[in-house]
Amino acid sequence: MKTPFHSLRWRIQAWYAALLFLVVVGFCATAYQLARVHQFRRADRELFRMERVFIRSLVREFEAASGQDAHRVFAPQELLERLRRGGAGVPAELAATFASRQAGYFYFAFCDRDGRVLLQSANFPEEADLPAPREVAEPWEDVRTVGTRRESVRIFPEGLVAVFGMDLSADVEELTRFAWSLSGIAACVLAAALAGGWWLAGRALRPIREISRTAVRIADGQLEERINLAGRHSELTELARVLDDTFARLHAAFEQQRRFTADASHELRTPITILLSETQRMLKRPRSAEEYRAAIETCHEAALRMRRLVEALLELAWQESGGATRRTVCDLAAVAAEAITTLRGMAAERNVTIAAKLEGASLRGDPASLGILVANLLRNAIEHSPSGGRVEVACGADGSAVWLQVRDHGPGIAPEDRPHLFERFYRSDRARSGGGGNVGLGLAIAQTIARNHGGGLEVESEPGRGAVFTFRVSCWDEHGGAEPV
Amino acid sequence: MRILVIEDDPVLNRSLAATLRDEGYAVDVAFDGEEGLARALEGVYDAIVLDVMLPRLDGWAVLEGLRPACPVPVLMLTARTAIPDRVRGLDAGADDYLTKPFDSEELLARLRALIRRGSGGAGAVIEIGGLAIDTAARRVTVDGAEIKLTGREYRLLEYLALHRGEVVSRARLYDHLYDENDDTLSNVLDVHVSNLRRKLGCDLIMTRRGHGYIIP
Repeated sequence: MKTPFHSLRWRIQAWYAALLFLVVVGFCATAYQLARVHQFRRADRELFRMERVFIRSLVREFEAASGQDAHRVFAPQELLERLRRGGAGVPAELAATFASRQAGYFYFAFCDRDGRVLLQSANFPEEADLPAPREVAEPWEDVRTVGTRRESVRIFPEGLVAVFGMDLSADVEELTRFAWSLSGIAACVLAAALAGGWWLAGRALRPIREISRTAVRIADGQLEERINLAGRHSELTELARVLDDTFARLHAAFEQQRRFTADASHELRTPITILLSETQRMLKRPRSAEEYRAAIETCHEAALRMRRLVEALLELAWQESGGATRRTVCDLAAVAAEAITTLRGMAAERNVTIAAKLEGASLRGDPASLGILVANLLRNAIEHSPSGGRVEVACGADGSAVWLQVRDHGPGIAPEDRPHLFERFYRSDRARSGGGGNVGLGLAIAQTIARNHGGGLEVESEPGRGAVFTFRVSCWDEHGGAEPV
Repeated sequence: MRILVIEDDPVLNRSLAATLRDEGYAVDVAFDGEEGLARALEGVYDAIVLDVMLPRLDGWAVLEGLRPACPVPVLMLTARTAIPDRVRGLDAGADDYLTKPFDSEELLARLRALIRRGSGGAGAVIEIGGLAIDTAARRVTVDGAEIKLTGREYRLLEYLALHRGEVVSRARLYDHLYDENDDTLSNVLDVHVSNLRRKLGCDLIMTRRGHGYIIP
């Protein structure tokens, strides 16, 4: 079953969203925390300032009452004594400050070790509690947050407990607003980034859809389809190029297979028709022995023709798939001499002489394939020579290349036939030798062998003046094919 | 019935011609398109067997040269099975189409059908009164009793029967019943006509002096 999470786009998007969410949340939390700490520090400074102002003003009042020096350092013990003595109140100039409960108000309370309240401001919040009394060896102080209030608590070894507080509801409200706006911004950023990411992922993956659509079309049999991704050089265009290359090679292989089958069936049709026609004719009624003999000879000829055809087709298919890959050092002169020996009988039958001028021409190659190449050229030359004609074979090496040449003095090749000469089943005169050796594949095979050896086969001819076929292999062969030694 | 075989493969050409001759047809052969077209235009053939792949002039070009002037039935032979090829052949004026390799019997049956259609008939059996000519089996019966005829007698009877009601000249009979290899001395028409009259009755084949023969 296909769920969204099988989709690459969805998975990329999910990972991207998770990472982005962590980053944004982390950033916002840090920002909020920093703002909060900053706010509290400011509040603490304010609180301490007010504390100092209050203490100073309280002490000044005590001094005024006792007529002592107002700048003397005031010990907690003394303050405790005074407060115990009672009668102390909130200094007049600060009375207003410690009466109201407007947002941001200050409050205070003093008590002794027993928890008895010595003095507290009128606006001391009902819900605020005083710290539990305890013994301390040296002055102990703490700043704490209680609800929306910030309190500084001091406990002195002498038994005095002082609580100064400040209302933070305004700051807390501001922080909450800040948190909301942070969240809002974060949500917007997240949404925009996700939308962008979705779009980007889709855009980046679009070539993959294109590739898969093309692959499906190719699988459906449209082998000539290619992806041909346009656009800038990226990993995907590279992939598309590699796939296109693969498709092209597969297509070529299929095409070769298809052509082989088509050629074989096409060329086999005529001899099979002959077999059918002759055998049916013979079976229809009794015949004389001579008639049977003639028919069987015809059938035999047709069978031989099919065999030659199939052998030539298999040879061509074998050579087109690369042929023998093992390369040995061989001498083209020796290969040619052997081919001449084999074909002397055929030449004599047609009253054609073969003149050879073979010089050493060593190269790396497959001697069997090269033998077929030379034999095919030679057979072709003999077939196209008039009776009493002469076929010349020469080979040699010149500096950068080795070459082999087969020349006949037959009718030559018309210019319009020359481009098609090496095509399979192309017969220049379209006339068939009808059971003769020519199945129209010899030159195609020779050309394929020449190319397998990193060389080429060329033809020069003028109508009426014979033809010259030249096989040439260059010394510097980068394909690791044939090379002179 | 005289048939022209245009096929470039000499062995197949020979075999096809022999098959057709065995069936009693007069057969001429041509090995390339030009020769074939020139012979076909002589107008003496009752059907043409035409290969598509021919040297010098291919089968389609031969058809183009024939049509529309020459209405002779043409059976095309091809090694190609592709439907567009068949359509092209039929559109170019071929009357029938056979793909190699084909069965000889099918070729013969299609040729018989083409020849019958060319003469206006449709069935394989031609009936004239009590006389029945089975063109597929090459058998002749009179009131159900089989009459033995020689190949030449049968050809003559079949041709006249297919062109029933027409006066067929002696020259036309020579053209259509004998190919170029036949020795004309042994083909004295009168002898065959009198043999047919002896076997089938005098009133079947009439002689129109100075014109020819007719089965009325």
